[in-house]
Amino acid sequence: MDDRHLISRVQAGDASAERELYDTHVERVYRLVYRLAGDADQAQDYTQETFIRAFGRLGEFRGEAALGTWICSIAVSVALNGLRRGKRLRTREVALDEAAAAATPDRAAEPDLRDRLARAIDALPEGYRVVFLMHDVEGYTHEEIGRTLGVQTGTSKAQLSRARAKLRRALADFARG
Amino acid sequence: MTGDDDEPLDPELRDAARAYHEPPEVPREALWTRIQLRRSAEPGAAPGDPPAARLAARSPRLLVWGAGIAALLALGVGIGRLSVHVRPPLRADPTPVAAAPAPPPQASSPAAAAPGRDAAAYRLAAAEHLGQAEAFLTLFRASVREGHRERLAPATARQLLATNRLLLDSPAAADPRLRFLLQDLELVLAEIAQLAPERRGEDLKLITDGLERDGMLVRLRAAVPAGTGAAFRKGVL
Repeated sequence: MDDRHLISRVQAGDASAERELYDTHVERVYRLVYRLAGDADQAQDYTQETFIRAFGRLGEFRGEAALGTWICSIAVSVALNGLRRGKRLRTREVALDEAAAAATPDRAAEPDLRDRLARAIDALPEGYRVVFLMHDVEGYTHEEIGRTLGVQTGTSKAQLSRARAKLRRALADFARG
Repeated sequence: MTGDDDEPLDPELRDAARAYHEPPEVPREALWTRIQLRRSAEPGAAPGDPPAARLAARSPRLLVWGAGIAALLALGVGIGRLSVHVRPPLRADPTPVAAAPAPPPQASSPAAAAPGRDAAAYRLAAAEHLGQAEAFLTLFRASVREGHRERLAPATARQLLATNRLLLDSPAAADPRLRFLLQDLELVLAEIAQLAPERRGEDLKLITDGLERDGMLVRLRAAVPAGTGAAFRKGVL
């Protein structure tokens, strides 16, 4: 269905249209915020907040991007703000150097590639991490990422390239092995 | 993955990356219920707040609903008392639990309009109460299934229980189907209202099993007129 038609139905108070909008986009939103948060409770909180805001701000949607992209931009904003707040509260921000050291120990001491990669991804700068997860893990295009994050496509490509380079360095011994 | 000029990751790394924070199945219905309830509440809770904080943020509104329904019901009971003077009561003993005193009869009140007016008031109060109870129990069941502990559930259940008892003591309960539903609902609400922190695990299971066994949510949804949910979402009350 055309985004504008669906939006006009929602704005007219059509409850089935609200549900339709939710059903259409919830999977993508939830997957994205879960990738960012890694926690079911947080992912549900962020998904809920995303749709609350989306329904509340539908009148601000100008149709410059697809509705799904607009909703995902809200989701990323909500998730990153929530994660930053949580990070401040926990005051356990991992220093990049420390994380890099943790990500490149002796291979025999930490044989699980997934665990090491996860720690290396956690240690990426926020912008790199978001682009990497959106592109290489969730399959977004650079154009979608650019519109979602409000950055140029070239910026998205550059950040992905740097993210991959950092991950390769962090896991170099695996690549050689 | 289009438009990528950079060399992609090795397949082994790419596969490992896809296991990073791999999302479980989306809890669609539970999320939808949460969104509906949150939208019906006052805005103000910030994103990232823990669920308990958001429940605390919306619970006052739930209580306000309850108080609004109770007030509406008391008004209906008052009108009902007025109409007692002009027509036979619907029940043998319509004495309300509500402490609100009945307003004195007014000569200007058109007696002929009273039956339709109080019936409408009771119908509206019952419909709003059932809609609110359905929303609460849906959220409660979803929270239990997900392992959350909604600390404020007993307080909300007590508020709903008070309204439920008002309705049971009102002419609205003259309808046998509604009376049976309210009686069954009372048992469920009383169980939640009395949840003891130290025995929650087994008690929660008994309550949710009872909900399933009695088909309470299905019965509530069937009893709530279409549009009542939308009215809640828009904060009509």
